[in-house]
Amino acid sequence: MNSPPPIEVRGLRKIFRQTTTGQAVVAIDRLDLDISPREVVAIVGQTGCGKSTFFDLMIGLEAPTEGSLRIGDKSPHFDFDDFRGRIATVFQQDRLLPWRSALDNARLPLELIGLPESEQRERALTWLERLGLGNFTNAYPHELSGGMRQRVAIARAFAVGPDILLADEAFGHLDEVTAAELRETFLELARECGSTAILITHQLEEAIGVGDRIVVFGKSAKLLADIHVNQWTKNNHPLLREAIQSTLQNNQADPRLSNIQ
Amino acid sequence: MTEGYRESVPVLIFPRQTFVSLLVFALAWETLSHLAPYLGIPPFAIPSFVRIAKSVATITPIDIVVTLARVIAALIVSFLLGVAMAMAMYRSDSLDKYLHPMIRLLMAVPVVSWILFAVLWFPGVEFRICFVLVVVCGPVFLIDTLDAMHGVPRDLRHMMQSFRPTTWQYFFKLMLPAILPTIFTSWKVNISLAIRVVTIAELVGAVTGIGHQLSVAQELFSVADVFAWTLVLVALLFLLEAVVARVEARVLRWRV
Repeated sequence: MNSPPPIEVRGLRKIFRQTTTGQAVVAIDRLDLDISPREVVAIVGQTGCGKSTFFDLMIGLEAPTEGSLRIGDKSPHFDFDDFRGRIATVFQQDRLLPWRSALDNARLPLELIGLPESEQRERALTWLERLGLGNFTNAYPHELSGGMRQRVAIARAFAVGPDILLADEAFGHLDEVTAAELRETFLELARECGSTAILITHQLEEAIGVGDRIVVFGKSAKLLADIHVNQWTKNNHPLLREAIQSTLQNNQADPRLSNIQ
Repeated sequence: MTEGYRESVPVLIFPRQTFVSLLVFALAWETLSHLAPYLGIPPFAIPSFVRIAKSVATITPIDIVVTLARVIAALIVSFLLGVAMAMAMYRSDSLDKYLHPMIRLLMAVPVVSWILFAVLWFPGVEFRICFVLVVVCGPVFLIDTLDAMHGVPRDLRHMMQSFRPTTWQYFFKLMLPAILPTIFTSWKVNISLAIRVVTIAELVGAVTGIGHQLSVAQELFSVADVFAWTLVLVALLFLLEAVVARVEARVLRWRV
């Protein structure tokens, strides 16, 4: 696989207008962020801080109000079709199609990029087997547990071999053991595939545990902290956790983080 | 749990209650037919089952085939038109806003008015019948399909869009399978509607079909013939519904 393109965010603003009142809501206010190829970035922030809006802008389903978000030299919104098969997503809920079996769900993105059917089946089957679902390929979503369904959703995302993997609170609704297991599998596979991975979460433990980098969003996606994970941060886990928590509570960077950064 | 563990075990249960209620009705009818002369009711008004059976034996299959063909052809046309218009209205908000009130208005017009309009507007019998059926069944398909399309969960639409499908892929891989359960329900409702409407439409002007035969039976004061043709209509309705139910069970086998 070729190296995925870098992600460059400059002066990004997203303003929504409320349907009933017409009032403008600034979801993202002048965000600058760079993400290198193959980096695993955890974006952490409180509910309503603009994480999910950033996710939608990354997918290309929303257009920036101002500024730019570019993947390589292209915009995921304005060059929408150019990213077919290059961006894959894992959502909070599995979002499997209930009328499709696990195998058919996993091969959905492969159908959309027009691969021959035999190749679709082979690739989807390989990913389902890697995720421990080899015996459940013909099962419908309602016949699987929550963790198994999320595994199918992960297989669906990886099957297409994307440059960029996005996960929006993908493990938050699962029990702790299953979530930790799936998170580990997800990261292992992302690193193995050489994809850039962006995990959006509101759980500090998850953010600290997964990334090469932890990006902390304040209100309106204000960049409060950008922490590169290293041996020091790993050894000082409780201190880091406390500093990020204080940053999120006060909506400004905790002074202890400046030493870490 | 392994591959292929799902098993469909057909369960045949004798419909005892249905059988008993039909038997009670038949006995009451037969008793009344024998008592009619003593109750001052003309004998032809409540014919015995032997007389009805004689009428059933004289039924002309061609009339059944003609009515069935009219119903199926009109339902197919109504379905295609209804779904095509629903798709257009789903994609265009302004088209939806303009057409929706008109569709509601069409649905409020009584069937008899449509039959009269058809007789006054069009010379051909077949076209008249088809027009009446399409104008009655088409809006039902349209509204049901449109409502079902609006009801596709936002989460699934969002997921599908994130994989960047073409317009056709989006429709055939998400929207169509998602609205299929509603489409089957709509077919079942429309079959029953079409059977009733086609009979009325055939009463006026047609020289073939079950409706026409009912009209002849009425002119001959033959309750037995009316009963026989009504039985055929009911059987036809059950048959068509059974076919749709069978297809539905096959297509929607993923449902619990």
